[in-house]
Amino acid sequence: MLETMIFVLFAGLAVVAGIAILLSTSIVRMAYWLITMLVAVAGLYFLMGAYFLGVMQILVYVGGVAVLLVFGVMLTSRQLAPTLRPGRAEALWLAAVAAVLLVGLVLSILHAHWQPGTIVPANSAAEIGHSLLGEFLGPFELVSVLLLVAMLGAAYLARPKAPTAGPQHIKETTVL
Amino acid sequence: MMGLTPYLILSAILLVLGIAIVISKRNAIAMLIGVEFILNAATLNLVAFSRHGIGALSGQTAALFVIVLAAAEAVVALAIFLNFYHTIATVDIDQGDQLKG
Repeated sequence: MLETMIFVLFAGLAVVAGIAILLSTSIVRMAYWLITMLVAVAGLYFLMGAYFLGVMQILVYVGGVAVLLVFGVMLTSRQLAPTLRPGRAEALWLAAVAAVLLVGLVLSILHAHWQPGTIVPANSAAEIGHSLLGEFLGPFELVSVLLLVAMLGAAYLARPKAPTAGPQHIKETTVL
Repeated sequence: MMGLTPYLILSAILLVLGIAIVISKRNAIAMLIGVEFILNAATLNLVAFSRHGIGALSGQTAALFVIVLAAAEAVVALAIFLNFYHTIATVDIDQGDQLKG
């Protein structure tokens, strides 16, 4: 009973955050609601006994990705931000596509007849560590290489082009 | 104890919300937020299956990989958006209709 209540709380929070992002026009508010959704999903991980994953979700997503997004918002000018709300016809099409997709997914989930095994007890970080360095050693090493490449690539892409780099200056140089 | 179905339905709702955000927003950073929704829907599925004895611990390990990949994707995407912003002076996706910088 308590589990159901906690599930409804976190699930409702995540869905409300999604709807709020969909209706919001301010990019900073969207980032706030994204953090709400990420914390709610982390709460669901805790509820399912995936404690290590919940902690990683908060550390990496809320502590890393969300802060990065806020930095991206601040680095790109807010005066030049495009209008965020779609037109009426676009919104209608969007609602129709989303409704059809949602109904299809929910119907297929309800008719799939999952045969769940016994509920696995909560597992410790040590078991995930053994799994990472045993069964998933190859993907683990690949991911470490990928993180290095992503870091170098991002640093290369975001470097300043000229000593006094501004949008106007770069446009002039590219024309020349 | 709760079954598998509520988690799967929640995951479907989050996926649809993410797709709707990606389609409707014209701001590049807002689209990135939608992609994070889609990825979180996927990890929720993986952890729910792992919880109910399908695939044992693999689900949680795969979810961990998804979190790492999402972080890397966000970093590279934001670097590209910054470059885009320096070149065209906007983050409006509709203005990005040419490959030349």
